[in-house]
Amino acid sequence: MKANLLNITWILVAFSATLWAPVNALGQGAPPSGPGGPARPASPIDLSGYWSPAVNEDGLERGAGSELGDYAGFAINEAGRLWALSYDPSRLTLKHHQCDGYVAPYQMRAIGNFRIWEDRDPHTMQLVAIHIWAQTTEGFRTIWMDGRPHPPAYAPHTYQGFSTGRYVGDALVVNTTHLKQGWLRRNGLPESDQATMVEFFVRHGDHLVDTTVVTDPVFLTEPEVRSNDFFRQPTDPGAWLYACDDGEEIIGRPPDAVPNYLFGAQPFAKEYSKKYKIPMLSGIAGAASIYPEFAARLQTATDAEAIALLRPAPGPSPESRAEDPEPHDGEIHVLPVSGNVYMLAGDGGNIVVETGDEGPFVVDTGSGKLSDKVIETIHKLSDKPIQFIVNTSYLPDRAGGNVQLRAAGQDPSLVGSFFSLQFRDAGVGATIIAQQNTETHMVNAKLPAQGWPTDTFLEDRRRKYHNGNAIEIFHEPHAITDGDSIVHFRQSDVIVAGDIFNTIQFPFIDIKDGGSVQGEINALNDILNRTVFRHEGQGGTLIVPGHGYLSDEHEVVEYRDMLAIIRDRVRAMIKDGASLDQVKAARVTADYDTRYGANTGPWTTDMFVEAVYDSLKQPAK
Amino acid sequence: MLRCNRSRALLQAKRNSAFWFRCLILSLATAVIAAAQFPGIGPPPGPPPPPRAAAPVDLTGYWVSLVTEDWRQRMTTAPKGDMESIPLNAEGRKAALAWDPAKDEASGEQCRAYGAGGIVRLPGRIHITWQDDNTLKAEFDAGTQMRILRFGAPAGPGGDWQGVSVAGWDIPGTIMTRGGFTLGMPPGPERGGALKVVTTKMKAGYLRKNGIPYSQDAVITEYYDRFDIPGGDSLLLVTTEVVDPKYLSAPFWTSTHFKRQNDSAGWNPTPCSAK
Repeated sequence: MKANLLNITWILVAFSATLWAPVNALGQGAPPSGPGGPARPASPIDLSGYWSPAVNEDGLERGAGSELGDYAGFAINEAGRLWALSYDPSRLTLKHHQCDGYVAPYQMRAIGNFRIWEDRDPHTMQLVAIHIWAQTTEGFRTIWMDGRPHPPAYAPHTYQGFSTGRYVGDALVVNTTHLKQGWLRRNGLPESDQATMVEFFVRHGDHLVDTTVVTDPVFLTEPEVRSNDFFRQPTDPGAWLYACDDGEEIIGRPPDAVPNYLFGAQPFAKEYSKKYKIPMLSGIAGAASIYPEFAARLQTATDAEAIALLRPAPGPSPESRAEDPEPHDGEIHVLPVSGNVYMLAGDGGNIVVETGDEGPFVVDTGSGKLSDKVIETIHKLSDKPIQFIVNTSYLPDRAGGNVQLRAAGQDPSLVGSFFSLQFRDAGVGATIIAQQNTETHMVNAKLPAQGWPTDTFLEDRRRKYHNGNAIEIFHEPHAITDGDSIVHFRQSDVIVAGDIFNTIQFPFIDIKDGGSVQGEINALNDILNRTVFRHEGQGGTLIVPGHGYLSDEHEVVEYRDMLAIIRDRVRAMIKDGASLDQVKAARVTADYDTRYGANTGPWTTDMFVEAVYDSLKQPAK
Repeated sequence: MLRCNRSRALLQAKRNSAFWFRCLILSLATAVIAAAQFPGIGPPPGPPPPPRAAAPVDLTGYWVSLVTEDWRQRMTTAPKGDMESIPLNAEGRKAALAWDPAKDEASGEQCRAYGAGGIVRLPGRIHITWQDDNTLKAEFDAGTQMRILRFGAPAGPGGDWQGVSVAGWDIPGTIMTRGGFTLGMPPGPERGGALKVVTTKMKAGYLRKNGIPYSQDAVITEYYDRFDIPGGDSLLLVTTEVVDPKYLSAPFWTSTHFKRQNDSAGWNPTPCSAK
């Protein structure tokens, strides 16, 4: 018996070898294919191990940091140039910026060790993902190799983005989307949240090169190509932690102060050219500076033409080049946010639904154009009728579906209660909660009474415990209107911002209904006072914008910064006696137009500038 | 006792037949493996295709440099003593501080920054063509230089700015073998590859125009990779390692990228300049 077993084993071994031999030796022929999918060839390159950057290029940039004004070799457009020139490094002393992570393109360029390892399915040995851990800022990248699609445009952005990879020839080709706003260079040169990156990893012996191609419609005129060299470490170099907690760096600074330089007032704009005795145009010429012909161009460059680039060019403002993150396919799309909280996108404004053993708690009802589908979607998330609706404002993208959603719900907490003795319709339909001014605006606007709030509050806070969440509703006076609220689901740690925060346009400040730029800044700061990031300035508390993609505090901070910076510019011009037309002509939003601007539609850049101007001309609210 | 002995004999006979059966199976397997591992045992192979036909990647055409790194040191001539990012040893630093461009011009040495150790980093265009089936030619408009990248054994005495370059295709992912057995799976059919070039015997030159030196003993190893990017453009990546026992304390690594051009637009041969 034992001898027979031995024989069988020998036969199996021998025939296995014969089956493998032609494939191995000739390097051709189809590898064995299993029923689970295509065959799995070995990876053409193995990136696993410890890698250190060979900083033989741009040592200053990657070490101490480049001078302000040195943006040479970057194809920046006007917005990118002005954004960078407005940047004051002191901005990093702000509590919400102290722990900013590095976005993936800069992460790969930064100094610090890297650890790379593969994640394989233990049953099939299929390569599922390649992970990269970066020492600096603890950047953690995952490159999915299993063919999964990229998330929808309304999904969150992260510093490292969402990456998928495939092998092409001897290279690992990686596509990255969903990046946060960050740096192309650490001296304030921006990379927008609309940037995408294609990378080519090649390995020659123990030399790894990562060529990055960054496309950014907001700040670049053409893709930015760079390449980063790494050498393999034989052992773990250690020192992997870069844990960051923020603290007080400048005591007593007003909460709405965002360090920045007015257009044309960057005091260090000439420092780079003076230090190295090169024309001032060198650092700010954009794409032209990348090509060989620029060397000859430098021979005739003058200070005057460079100084002209320190301010916005006269003329019309460009429009946003950002991707519209909202679906327009006539369907309602569900994005799980955290715990039992979901974001519903597709009906002209984000809707939030909290589910549990009680009826759904809904924040905002969208435009009302797809209410039937919204109700159907909510019923898929919960078998109970909608119990509560909160309106963060009266505006049509927040409360457009009130009538339909209210009618589709009921509030069992009122049925059989004292109220039912007083009101025959108590509990019929969902209860709509809002700040009192919101109801007043609905009444004044003659919106259908069936959609008016049935439960209003006057002061700064309303609270409720529902479906296992402590839910707080905070009034944000004089932001978009005078009746805005934000909603905080404390256990799930989700804040619904309504129109106070969005990722698609300048804030719609409705002056006639009590909105103001300062109130809007204050409201954004109020959101930031309630957020806690999870790690390196991202994650943790999630923010659902009125429009756009699911965010965290980083997007709110950048939005707050933008608003405070534009406010500072308009305020400075008002102080100098400028008229509204003069403010508009100065293009005070020039570094943000390619991200948020519009020249047509219901909310143009001009309207926004006018709202900022008007609200700053009014007495403080 | 007799039965016992007969049983032993029978068992021995069975064992012998099992042994020979195992030998037969193993011999067959070994023959198949050998035929596959060593093609010479099978039908006679044809001659290997010449390097041009065997090219895993097409590097020919016009390529324009994208100066997005070390911009100041490449697009302008950095001041004397600017040695940022270069692992010079004491002798190298001393030589860099002795840089005198006027003296280079006067002595006809104005091409020192245009040699094999520095030419790829200079802003300009490269025109790569096949000179013959075994030789690639890389022309540079900066300094009007030409490098001959020959496959096979080194040829020529060297001693000029570009030295002697030996080219070869660098194909990744070859599974290691031990004792004739290959215990691994091959990479996928689309293997790709790069051009590897090792250059020696060049005149001493500059890594950068401001006199950062490399010696005639330096060994320059380069890899030329090509990537196709979304939108239809292609990139050429030249990864360079300079090892120089005289002036460098560690290998000097750079990676330089170029964008493909459809034609010769912008091709502008210029003479060397030491300034």
